[in-house]
Amino acid sequence: MKPLHKKIIHAAAVVILLTACVLLSLYKPSREQLDNSVSDELITDAGNNFSGVYYDFWLFNITRGRNVKTAVSETFIGAAGRILSVNEGFGRSMADVILWLPALAGGARVTVSLTICAVLAGLFLSIFLALGKISKNPVISGFCGAYIFFFRGSPLLMQLFFIYYGLPVINPALTINNKFFAAFVAFTLNTGAYCAEIIRAAIQSIDKGQFEASRVLGLTYGQTMRIVIIPQSIRRLLPPVANEFIMILKDASLVSIIALADLTHVTRSISSSASNVMVYIPAMIIYLIITAFFTAIFTRLEKRFSLYQ
Amino acid sequence: MALIRTENVCKSFSDVNVLTDINITVNQGEVVCIIGPSGAGKSTFLRSLIQLEKITSGKIYIDEELLLYREKNETKFRMEPVKYKSLLLEMGMVFQSFNLFPHRTALENIMLAPVNVKKMPKADAERRARELLAKVGLSEKADQYPARLSGGQQQRVAIARALAMDPRIMLFDEPTSALDPELVGEVLNVMRGLAESGMTMLVVTHEMGFAREAADRVLFMSDGSVTEEGDPETIFTAPENQRTKQFLNSILGA
Repeated sequence: MKPLHKKIIHAAAVVILLTACVLLSLYKPSREQLDNSVSDELITDAGNNFSGVYYDFWLFNITRGRNVKTAVSETFIGAAGRILSVNEGFGRSMADVILWLPALAGGARVTVSLTICAVLAGLFLSIFLALGKISKNPVISGFCGAYIFFFRGSPLLMQLFFIYYGLPVINPALTINNKFFAAFVAFTLNTGAYCAEIIRAAIQSIDKGQFEASRVLGLTYGQTMRIVIIPQSIRRLLPPVANEFIMILKDASLVSIIALADLTHVTRSISSSASNVMVYIPAMIIYLIITAFFTAIFTRLEKRFSLYQ
Repeated sequence: MALIRTENVCKSFSDVNVLTDINITVNQGEVVCIIGPSGAGKSTFLRSLIQLEKITSGKIYIDEELLLYREKNETKFRMEPVKYKSLLLEMGMVFQSFNLFPHRTALENIMLAPVNVKKMPKADAERRARELLAKVGLSEKADQYPARLSGGQQQRVAIARALAMDPRIMLFDEPTSALDPELVGEVLNVMRGLAESGMTMLVVTHEMGFAREAADRVLFMSDGSVTEEGDPETIFTAPENQRTKQFLNSILGA
């Protein structure tokens, strides 16, 4: 057994090097770009085998110095590769994690953008649903009530499945080929129903006196809503909307049913292809980081909107 | 000239009569106080005038024009919408619970209606709002949010907000009932000033001192109807109605 502090140093070295090489590889020119930028003499120099040279990054790039960014990143990959070849222990696990990170980050990007788009569009939709539901017109309020009842009352998983696989069967014109867009539609319709109830509750929690004061001052119903009621309800609806946002963020994992590569989907495929269930740990940590980030944003928004209290 | 006149205004919730045959007249420049025990329908009557409550039957005239005529819960006559709205704006209302807009500063509260309803240019509305704030003695509080003001200050801003629409009649619905005793005076002072400047006022109040000294006429309401009416001295010193006597005895502790 190696002493503990040596293990830690080993692991830390791997983490630092691999993080650096992942970051640097983002700046690395593609192989095609590199091929095009290299002169004929250089290719001759390298024994007509530039492609091979590209992978033999460790020496070639430093000696030639064709491209500093490439040189540095490939240097790090070389160094990391050496450490990786120490195929054991905690250091090895951390190396795995770092190597999975780009794929996981890609998945996280899908999850986050789906959540943000769906919640924003859902909020927009829900303003009309909420106003519709409290409308005195029985047709409008009946329709909005039925909409909310349906989308809150049935599982999101089924709604998603139905929109992607079911709609084309009903009418081929309703086919949604883009998986992201299909998921976006399903999540927007669903979160719209939840947010409508949040907004309705926030509006109805505003003191009746605010409506009366607006009315005796001659404001129309629309002006009352826009100028007086909705600005006041924002402060009250932020906490439940933050909650809904986080729920949607996690529910976004349902999109793996239509094979959209979100964070959960990516995690599962890494786990099965690498036969390593440990990938779930960094994946969950990524979820936590995203949640923490958005919680902080919502907390700031809340503070900003409670200035007058 | 009568600015407000009502004929047989009645209101009932299912089988409870809240207002029974109210016939009153408020003339231009007059200050009329409505007093009476809680549950007598004073506030309901005031709110019926400005259409926050629907009356069951009766006629309401504003500025000698028939605003509304209802019979057995059915509207028999209603002024055409544009005129109806502008006639309602002849009345400004001050509530017991102030009802300032908490997300707007004092100044913005006052400017809000002139800018959005009268389409007054912002600069003009602001100038007018500052004048009104000075009138109620709150010039230095222009940029404060209502939550940072005391109850008395909030109610004075609410009065300024109602005045910003240039109403010819001001309705006050127990404007000092929600205030700490030491803050009542500042609001009453503003109301006194308003009365002296010739504003027509209809005031529901429990402040007997104010009613006695500032009112031209006092109405006593009990159980949904006006049971006594007269100049303040008569009502307070020699009431005729038994119910009025009882009420004044209990409230003045005499």
